[in-house]
Amino acid sequence: MSDAVQEKRSISPIFWLLFGAGGMLSALFGPALILITGLLAPTGYGLPESFESYGHALAFAQNPIGKLVLLAVVSLFFWHGAERLYLTLKDMRAGPLLVLKFATYGVAAVVTLATFALLLAIGF
Amino acid sequence: MSERRPYRRPMPPNWWAHAPYRAYTARELSGVAVAIYGAVLFAGLISLWRGPDSYDAYLRFLRSPVSLLLHALLLAAVLYHVVTWFQTLPKTMPKLILDGKQVPPQKITQIATLAAGACSLALLLFTLWVAR
Repeated sequence: MSDAVQEKRSISPIFWLLFGAGGMLSALFGPALILITGLLAPTGYGLPESFESYGHALAFAQNPIGKLVLLAVVSLFFWHGAERLYLTLKDMRAGPLLVLKFATYGVAAVVTLATFALLLAIGF
Repeated sequence: MSERRPYRRPMPPNWWAHAPYRAYTARELSGVAVAIYGAVLFAGLISLWRGPDSYDAYLRFLRSPVSLLLHALLLAAVLYHVVTWFQTLPKTMPKLILDGKQVPPQKITQIATLAAGACSLALLLFTLWVAR
């Protein structure tokens, strides 16, 4: 590979990787996650009242594996949506590309950092 | 003097809302539903960090009809995402050759979709069993 080709390397594959990881994670576990946290737990159907209590949620978020799960799910889901929304808005010619990038990848990056910070702040 | 004037096929500004592009638009926006669910969890994490009172408000939101409707819509969109994700899978991976024969793309889609269903079902049953 020549130097000229090397210099032209794009950082897009990083976004594709995050997009793909989020797409696969949500395809494998998304339906169950939405069903559990969004429909079964709030209505108490099949799950006890205490399932989503403050104590339980805090214990989950303080557990190292729980932290990893939360970081992966929240950030990768955002990166997945960001890639799809960016390419769709780009094809729709919805605005200048830099604005679209900040509104999609930018949001995903901020949410990833914020999730990381929140999980640290919640403690172990 | 002749300047190059290539023909540009006219496109209506809302081409993405018309067939056949509509299907692609729907598929792409199903990915946004994935991110919206991520946002719901992110909001939960913020309220958890802020303390019990804030988290109670979050739980009240989750139990509201608006939230239940939202999650029903998100579930439908994510199920669409699951189906379309595995329809695209054979197109994004190298040809799978077993015993000197190419595995048909439909077969890959079928098996992967079933495997995904099994993953979600396993997580659901595991959660119901643990929380029993």
